[in-house]
Amino acid sequence: MSLGRSLSNELRGDTAIWLITIVLALVSLLAVYSSTGSMAFRVKGGNTEFFLFKHLMIIAMSFLIMYVMYRIPYEKFKKWAPFCLALTFPMLAYTLWQGADINEARRWIAVPFIDLTFQTSDFAKISLITYVASMIGSKQEYIEDFATAFTPIIVPILITCGLIAPADLSTAIILFLTCFLMMFIGRVHWKFLGLLLLFGVVVFALLIIAGQFFPEYVRVDTWTSRLTEFFTNSDGGYQVQQSKIAIASGEWIGVGPGNSTQRNFLPSPFADFIYAIITEEYGLMGAFIMIAMFVWLLIRTTVLVTKSAKAFGAMLAVGFTLCLTIQAFVNIAVSVHAVPVTGVTMPLVSMGGTSFLFASMMIGIILSVSRHIESINDLKE
Amino acid sequence: MNIKNEVLTRMYIVLVTFILLAFFLFAKTVKISYVEGEKWRAVANNNYVKYESVPALRGNILSDDGSLLAASIDKYDIHFDLQVNGLTKKVFEENVDSLAYCLSKYVNNKYTPGGQLMRLLEAREKGARYFTIAKNVSYEKKNQISQFPIFNRGRHRGGLIVERVLKRDMPFKLLAKRTIGYASREGANDVGIEGAFDKFLSGTNGQRLTLKVSEKTRIPINERAEIEPEDGNHIKTTLDIGIQDVAEEALMDALKYHDAQSGTVILMDVKTGQLKAIANLEKTPNGYWETFNYGIGTKIEPGSVLKLAPVMALLEDGKVGIHDQIPIHKGRRTFYDVEMEDSSSKSFEMDSTTLLNAFAISSNVGIASLTSKYYQGTDKKGNIRAKQLLRRFDQFNITYPTGIELAGEPMPFIKDPVKDSKEWSGLTLPWMSIGYEMQMTPLQILTFYNAVANDGKYMKPYLVSEILDKDGCIKKISPTVLTERIASKATIQKAKQLLAEVVETGTARKLKNTKYSFSGKTGTSQINYKNQRKKKQKKFGYRSSFVGYFPSDQPRYSCIVVITDPKENGTYGADVAGPVFRKLIDNIFYLKPELHRALNNYKRPKLEGKDLPEEFAGNLEDMEIVMKTLDIPYVNKSDNPIMTTSIVRRDSVHLIDRPRGENLIPNVVGMGVRDALYVLENEGIEVKFKGKGKVMKQSISPGTRIKGQTIHLTLG
Repeated sequence: MSLGRSLSNELRGDTAIWLITIVLALVSLLAVYSSTGSMAFRVKGGNTEFFLFKHLMIIAMSFLIMYVMYRIPYEKFKKWAPFCLALTFPMLAYTLWQGADINEARRWIAVPFIDLTFQTSDFAKISLITYVASMIGSKQEYIEDFATAFTPIIVPILITCGLIAPADLSTAIILFLTCFLMMFIGRVHWKFLGLLLLFGVVVFALLIIAGQFFPEYVRVDTWTSRLTEFFTNSDGGYQVQQSKIAIASGEWIGVGPGNSTQRNFLPSPFADFIYAIITEEYGLMGAFIMIAMFVWLLIRTTVLVTKSAKAFGAMLAVGFTLCLTIQAFVNIAVSVHAVPVTGVTMPLVSMGGTSFLFASMMIGIILSVSRHIESINDLKE
Repeated sequence: MNIKNEVLTRMYIVLVTFILLAFFLFAKTVKISYVEGEKWRAVANNNYVKYESVPALRGNILSDDGSLLAASIDKYDIHFDLQVNGLTKKVFEENVDSLAYCLSKYVNNKYTPGGQLMRLLEAREKGARYFTIAKNVSYEKKNQISQFPIFNRGRHRGGLIVERVLKRDMPFKLLAKRTIGYASREGANDVGIEGAFDKFLSGTNGQRLTLKVSEKTRIPINERAEIEPEDGNHIKTTLDIGIQDVAEEALMDALKYHDAQSGTVILMDVKTGQLKAIANLEKTPNGYWETFNYGIGTKIEPGSVLKLAPVMALLEDGKVGIHDQIPIHKGRRTFYDVEMEDSSSKSFEMDSTTLLNAFAISSNVGIASLTSKYYQGTDKKGNIRAKQLLRRFDQFNITYPTGIELAGEPMPFIKDPVKDSKEWSGLTLPWMSIGYEMQMTPLQILTFYNAVANDGKYMKPYLVSEILDKDGCIKKISPTVLTERIASKATIQKAKQLLAEVVETGTARKLKNTKYSFSGKTGTSQINYKNQRKKKQKKFGYRSSFVGYFPSDQPRYSCIVVITDPKENGTYGADVAGPVFRKLIDNIFYLKPELHRALNNYKRPKLEGKDLPEEFAGNLEDMEIVMKTLDIPYVNKSDNPIMTTSIVRRDSVHLIDRPRGENLIPNVVGMGVRDALYVLENEGIEVKFKGKGKVMKQSISPGTRIKGQTIHLTLG
């Protein structure tokens, strides 16, 4: 057996998804490497190598996690989902109550020993999406029944999103939207979807009221100011203006790797505004590739759905893909001033923290689904 | 429709929606980059945000003992950016009261807490981005302000803007002001140590990103500079604060007393060439002030103090000895059509005197005649003889600048009979020999004298001994020998004799002092003598100078004092400049105990006859040391190491055994207590004694049988 063949046997599943992941990881590495070119960082004395090394470690760890997830038969996640979800609620509550206050939002808890902060909402995303996928999958026959099918799905969604929203509204909205679309694809009836939206609005309204009493925990102030800025300032605030300057500076082919000047002016250039930096360095060409990668991911998942025999696997893949894609699109939308400023990272690209690990976990599970479907198709042939 | 198809249909709807969304986002990107591109790129080029330099802390300038001569002090300007994103309405409103209170209580009590509150609210209303909180505050104050409510949230969340402003302070004010100098003043050259060592002192500026908030105001974006400045190195100078202080005070007093125009004092360490003090004072409408470094930067006609150079040339060329009689023409002689005159009345009685005396009384005619005799005109072979004198001047280094580190040292101006033939007349040489028709800086004159004091070794004068960073010395600057010997040993020896004679019997004799010796030369030159020579101007000024070194035998310091245009209380070098020199070295003498001669440091008288020690007894070895140390001639005839006594034989001392018997009390008279105790207690005798010194009497006579007695010794 040749090496090529053994590798392709070892790494089955959708080759395209593997490729997309590798391309995104490379872009990520380049973008972070670009910081070595930054005068500000270079002169500060060796910090760049530290960041680069740390990021490289995270990418390596991510691929390891991805491989482990890929090796686990995805059916197992179905069993784990309720337990994980049950674990999620107290974790989110704890984070909200006690979490590390980074940039004024209680979204993180510090993981001891490995010097990383852990965004509990990342864990919640995986748990909830898996849970929702399993519910949709197992109740497909009577999905239109309110009490037996609908209620068990929406209650955890509302609780999870409700706990995430006070400190991190955008993540809550992304997760809510993901679940909503999963339910839509999973054939949930229109009137229930309408009802879900209504519940969502009610929970949000309750949060705003709670914000009047517990301003420490619900960031209504920030939301209001960001929204006001978005609607009143057509050029955007300082950050958005800097982002636009970055995009405009890139023109068609970009200023070249490591030549970004705007990274000095943009806050968290390698996380929230990485799209602007990539566009500055690689031009509209780079921007197109970034967007295309996520669209391609969605197309590949759609193809998977057409092949999939079992609803759970398909729903799982769809859920994670939508979650990653929506997050990427929100990140891009912030940079191009299509939505108000919000701190959302570009999955699989932005540097920092555990979000990269969780995104890889999602990809790993998608690959596990695709591997399974392929092997069934192989059997059929 | 079956389940799978329905799921697929819905999946396609979602996919299409996302593809449309993707198109929308890409279109937005293209719009920004292409359609609005010009506008945004223009904003980028508009220096909306740009790097500005952050000044590095300038290094300090220290004296030789590490005292601060010039120091940089960090001060801070504090502003408040009320528009930062992190400063939400809630945070502002909740804390503004306490902030106003803190500002009123600890920063600016011109405003009541209520008044401060009004100002802050107004600033918030207007969206001020650079609201001044405090200017020029200390590091400690800055830290305190950073802890105030709102400000403790930092730059992005609290709007606190801290900018370092650097102040240069000279803790000793006037002290060596021009020598310490200054750098980087617009429209002026860098001067002094600040200027000369600017590249070490200045450090490297940092860079910080600033945001343009109005036409004139840029505010820093981040809390810390993107590139932190690297502070400058410190410079340790050779200046001695104590001496510098005395030099300035002595000069100031003299200038005031004589109502002089300006004055300079430079003091140098003979062995190393280190400058220990430089003082320059000039009359200004606001009193005397250090405005220019005359000592280093201004050439003057040295006058009589430079007579040493032609005399040393004559000695070096073997033309004359210092005890030879030389003509002085009763202190009056005409060279061509111009009369030269001595100022000392002593000259008027003598046709001739020794060179030593002529130099001591500073006879212009004597020195000029002698120099003319040997260096005027041409020799038998047709060579210009003045060239030989100039070769000697070259050899003495007086035709070259000293090469001190500071900028602005001019070349000495000394005429050359060939190169400057148009300006070379028959008068040039005689007047040159008495220090006219040439120009040198006071430092150049001093360095020449310093070489004479230093047995001919010409040291480069310097002011900076070390360059230090915060961890200590990074560069040490050692003394530099420019010429190993500027003249033969014999010439230097004679030159020293001449200079000593000036103080001993000559023009400076009234400055003489019994505690220590010094040597030197006075000078009194006419400032505008040329006009006087042409009888154009009746009123003319003087320049009074004194240059010398002390102590004469082993010189430690050399010093020059130049005072220009004294109008009252005398004009002569010995009356105006000399006393400043005396005052300065008097003070140094008291400041530096190591200069004091030991009280018994003279040749010991030869001891003979009754002065020799009779009946001096004790340990043989000790006694021999005493004899040797005191130069007492002695003969050792003893072989008893513990009991030897001395007897005087004519003009030497014989050391012999002191006889003693078995079990009999020994004779300890003439012994020291230690030796006596040793001897007696070894025999088991109890000893009691009173007084100090040698044993004069013992209570039990020698030869008495020992039986456990107690013996009483009387010392004296």
